[in-house]
Amino acid sequence: MITLTNLSKIFRTELIETHALRDINLQVNEGEFAALTGPSGSGKSTLLNILGTLENFDSGDYQLDGKSVKGLSDAAVSRLRNEKIGFIFQSFNLIKDFSIYDNIELPLRYRGLKASARKQRIEQALELVGLHARRDYLPGQLSGGQQQRVAIARAIAGEPRILLADEPTGNLDSLMARQVMELLEQINQRGCTILMVTHDPEQARRAGRHIQIIDGQLHDSTLYQPLATQIVRPQAVAQGA
Amino acid sequence: MDNLLHSFSLAVRNIKRTPLPYLLTILILSLGLGMFFSNATLYYWLNHDPLPHKSHSLFHPQINAVLQPCDSCTEPTRVLSYQDVKKLSSSGIPSAQAAMFQSAGYARLPGKTDQSPTPVSLRVTQRDFFTLFDVPFLHGQRWADNTARRELILSKASAERFFGRSNVVGETLQLGNELFTISGVLQNWDMLPRLYDVANGLSSAQSADIYLPWETAYDLGIKSNTTTMSRDSRDYSDNFAVNGREGDFYQAQFWVQLDSPKQVAAYQQFMQQLVQSEKEAGRHPRPEANRLTNILDITEHFNARNRQLDAFALVSLLFLLVCLFNASHLSLNRYLASQYEFGLRRALGCSRGQLQQLILADVAVSACLALALSLAVAAAAMTLIASLLPATRNLTSWNPVMVVTMAGTALVACYLVTLYPALRASFGGLNRQLK
Repeated sequence: MITLTNLSKIFRTELIETHALRDINLQVNEGEFAALTGPSGSGKSTLLNILGTLENFDSGDYQLDGKSVKGLSDAAVSRLRNEKIGFIFQSFNLIKDFSIYDNIELPLRYRGLKASARKQRIEQALELVGLHARRDYLPGQLSGGQQQRVAIARAIAGEPRILLADEPTGNLDSLMARQVMELLEQINQRGCTILMVTHDPEQARRAGRHIQIIDGQLHDSTLYQPLATQIVRPQAVAQGA
Repeated sequence: MDNLLHSFSLAVRNIKRTPLPYLLTILILSLGLGMFFSNATLYYWLNHDPLPHKSHSLFHPQINAVLQPCDSCTEPTRVLSYQDVKKLSSSGIPSAQAAMFQSAGYARLPGKTDQSPTPVSLRVTQRDFFTLFDVPFLHGQRWADNTARRELILSKASAERFFGRSNVVGETLQLGNELFTISGVLQNWDMLPRLYDVANGLSSAQSADIYLPWETAYDLGIKSNTTTMSRDSRDYSDNFAVNGREGDFYQAQFWVQLDSPKQVAAYQQFMQQLVQSEKEAGRHPRPEANRLTNILDITEHFNARNRQLDAFALVSLLFLLVCLFNASHLSLNRYLASQYEFGLRRALGCSRGQLQQLILADVAVSACLALALSLAVAAAAMTLIASLLPATRNLTSWNPVMVVTMAGTALVACYLVTLYPALRASFGGLNRQLK
């Protein structure tokens, strides 16, 4: 589903070049639930942004469903993002003066769906996240957990193939975080591929796969093993060798 | 259609979200556009071609026929004498020709001695005046010929003012102490600019209330109330029917219609021959200075451009540029504040093109508001200008083409103001605002 080949990303200013990602090689199969972990500044969010086509990369290749996204026009990338990718952000990113319904409707409008089709999908998504009764509420009238569920509803209403979640429980208490994780697992069981950035070892453990980034390099990409065996710093690898 | 309505509802929602910066932007734009529209309106009326289908064929002949010798007088006088008109009318070349001057008088219904006479503006002219300038008749018709006759032609407004109705052909009106029959009533007609009267500096004045036959005016001693000139010792307040016709008294403008270059050349040749024969007869002591000026060149010819209005137009254009710059700055702040939402929309699959559509809807709503407010500002500014420059009072109307042009200008100005901010917003990094 997702294939990254020697993918690199460099952030440049007039004085400094920062290698955010170096020669990343990664294969994510359809239906996987992968956790992306690593220390702050390691490149997790950059990788997630590149996977979500929110950011360009400098070298290498990124293939989504067997097709390279490199060189696609803005319209084509936008269409691809709209049809195949759903986003869940840490800060929910709901538009404050839009109702819940209107927020969920946004990506469906850009797909050009008719009002009746949009309504059907929105209601299905609201049923799934358990917020159907609050469709006319404004985001500010909901709790953090409910807002994140709205964001999830917005992400899945378009029936994307991939869900990219950037610390989706980062702003939630443990109870709400658990509810959100259960929801994500439920969505994954329906066949949606999920890549989730997280700092929480417990959440990483619940994902089927654990991908780790340190200093812009992918250090492991295996199906879930106990975390203690996964976190290996480059220096430690060198010393061990 | 659904998406279009959605775009407009978002635009309205954007106004509600940040009303103050939005209204400030609209206010600045409206001030700039309003001042520009008001001056552009005056500029348009003073510079547009009032008879585009025939202006190329209307000419104003002048000869330097003043009887007093003056070797340094190389420009003909602005006005002609009765004799000059008579001679210039004798060629048989123009398809229409008319002499004219402006005057004023008092009119009232005959027998209504209890009513005080009403002041009226008069145009003393010949029958071809109405042909030359395509003056439309509502009732009746122009005079049968150029002989003296007690017949008047009234403007529609004058007919309604005196009789309370427009169809007054055959009715009698008292002008001064004389009774006249009304032979025609004009439709609402104003030639703007009034190029046939540029010589008198009256290009923006309203058309006359009453039209009086040329020969009749000389019979009754009615003179021009604008430009008159005499170069001999006759008493023109006495026996004007003779003195005005025979003496060295100048007050007439003369217009001819020459439909082809061949006719123009023939008329120029006629003027040369006329001056030559006059010189031979000792009646043209001054240097030959024949002029045949096209109606579209007449303002420059008489150096009658309103420089104050030109200066106003330039200042209003500069003011508009300053307003656009300031509105653009405000707009940039507004759009940068919306960049988070733009980034979110883009992340959810909105293409730059779709984002530009949203921005265009925003621009269209801004343009409508700016247009409405700028028209109000323009109307107020024109009222102010008219009070400062009374000569412009007749130049403050808008026709549908002008309104459409102003709407287009407002749209372009609003788009220009939002173009750079919109580009900045739609090309901004997608990931910067989203966490």
